[in-house]
Amino acid sequence: MENDDIVWSIINKSFCSYKVNTKTQRFCRNEYNLTGLCNRSSCPLANSQYATVREEDGNCFLYMKTVERSGFPRNMWEKVKLSKSLEKALRQINEYLVYWPGFLKQKCKQRLLKISQYLIRMRKLRLRRQKKLVPIQRKQDRRERRREEKALVAARLDSAIEKELLERLKRGTYGDIYNFPQVAFNKALEEEEEEEVEPEEYGEDDENEEEEGELDEELEKELEEESENEEIEYVEADSDLEAELEGESDVEDIQVNKAQSTDSIKENIRRKPRLEIEYETETSKSLKHKV
Amino acid sequence: MSKVVARPLITVYNEKAEASGTSIQLPAIFRAPIRPDIVSFVQQQMSMNRRHPYCVSEKAGHQTSAESWGTGRAVARIPRVRGGGTHRSGQGAYGNMCRGGRMFAPTKIWRRWHRKINVNQKRFALCSAVAASGIPSLVMSKGHLINDVPEMPLVVSDKVQEYKKTKQAVVLLRRLRAWTDVQKVYKTRRFRAGKGKMRNRRRTSKLGPLVIYGRDQGLTKAFRNIPGVSMISVNKLNLMKLAPGGHVGRFCIWTESAFQRLNALYGTWRLKSKLKSNYNLPQPIMTGTDLSRLLKSDEIQKVIRRPRKMIRRASVKRNPLTNMRALMKLNPYSAVIKKSAAAVAEARKKSKTALLEKKREASATKKVAA
Repeated sequence: MENDDIVWSIINKSFCSYKVNTKTQRFCRNEYNLTGLCNRSSCPLANSQYATVREEDGNCFLYMKTVERSGFPRNMWEKVKLSKSLEKALRQINEYLVYWPGFLKQKCKQRLLKISQYLIRMRKLRLRRQKKLVPIQRKQDRRERRREEKALVAARLDSAIEKELLERLKRGTYGDIYNFPQVAFNKALEEEEEEEVEPEEYGEDDENEEEEGELDEELEKELEEESENEEIEYVEADSDLEAELEGESDVEDIQVNKAQSTDSIKENIRRKPRLEIEYETETSKSLKHKV
Repeated sequence: MSKVVARPLITVYNEKAEASGTSIQLPAIFRAPIRPDIVSFVQQQMSMNRRHPYCVSEKAGHQTSAESWGTGRAVARIPRVRGGGTHRSGQGAYGNMCRGGRMFAPTKIWRRWHRKINVNQKRFALCSAVAASGIPSLVMSKGHLINDVPEMPLVVSDKVQEYKKTKQAVVLLRRLRAWTDVQKVYKTRRFRAGKGKMRNRRRTSKLGPLVIYGRDQGLTKAFRNIPGVSMISVNKLNLMKLAPGGHVGRFCIWTESAFQRLNALYGTWRLKSKLKSNYNLPQPIMTGTDLSRLLKSDEIQKVIRRPRKMIRRASVKRNPLTNMRALMKLNPYSAVIKKSAAAVAEARKKSKTALLEKKREASATKKVAA
């Protein structure tokens, strides 16, 4: 008892390792503190007669500290298990803290009430499904996203798929779908030559829209030659391209596909210069906008 | 002055942290007044005493024969280096603002580095620190983890002084439940913030228990490798170890012989100290410090007056000459006066109007007659 005031004057004015200062209030981090605040009446260090209610695994315990045991830290706190029913527990508190100061009695009961309320809430929550909140570290997230993008690029899916399909063809998993009678094949080739003209016309129409047509015409010629060459080479390559597209297809479809594929190849070849030109037109358009 | 102070018996614990038969009465020093202000002051002064002097070279900035060029040269008047043929010629010199000049107020070696502290003050601080180390609340508030320690102050048998192996020391600390405090030291090992890192003060950590022995028969060597643990002899108690940082309440582990020696070293109030010439423990200013108990005691309650529980609040003054209510408060008859005055005024008015009417009638009849 003598000590209390001295202890409090030291703790209050100078240093206490459990004291936490905020702008509005002082908190006490001591686990035996009844209210959680740093006060003369709620400091477990500055009161030699003190009581708290604490919860462990759903059981509430009443802890009591008296002057007689103040010199023996190991045995300082007397622990009493309170009953699970709130009524009985309150009566128990009344019984154990009969002649104790009103503040401690009142706060113990209030604390017990709060604890029992949150225990009920915990039990209810556990019955329901709970969302688990997982915090994402921003740095890691950024890193992973970038790495995903890089991995996507590095994987080169298109070429991988191409290889896979080719291998499958070679292995013969698709059977002998692409072995057609020679006559039909030749006919198909002839039809292809005719169709080559049409896509060229298409190509011209597109190119007329563009300003620099001459270059394109030259390119066209080159492409024609290339395509003719490609035709010859196509005997082998065609099948690969067909394999890229759909597996089951009629001869007509194949022809269409061939045409498409030729178109696509031409477009692919044309796309490179086209891209450049489009870029210029875009800028010219943007210039117009600026004007 | 005889002091009636409770001095309980402290049990001595053996190496297995069981209560050995012996118990010692608490030395009087543990009931000395605890003055954190004195401790803080003395600790601060003491810490100045281990400083190394530092200063700038005397000659720094003056090893030139610079002279000011004066006015008329379209340059600032700061002294400039003479001669030519080098970058340095014509540069400013001597001033604290100049590059290569002397600093403002060059630090001198004859600065007062050390402080003299009165012997009595030092002893007072030490007594306070030892007293505080016996109060578990203060030791806990300092940050030591002593929740499971069997007793405070903690006294161990003299066998501990003969320990040679760190293993034994660790086992002892474990048994005494002081190991959590040492673990705290392990956990708080970190690098210092700031330039101290490159000045040979790289690592910091919290402090652990302090072992105070009577005779070193190997104890220091056993405990010295455990981080956070310090060892001092009773005869050379050090305030810097007992109240590190100027805050009282370090966790101390005493050996039996050390504990016994305290009474001889510092005295009890009844007897002077035997080993310090003409010294006795500091007298407290108040013998009974429980303020609430004092105020409730009969002696004081008899003399003080009754508490005044009524709160008188300041009221606004109203001017009676303008405010009717304020006037009535002062002079209740004023209401009557006012009423009667009003009545009189009414009566006068009436009579006047009556007169006027009469006159008008008279004139009217006259006119009629004529």
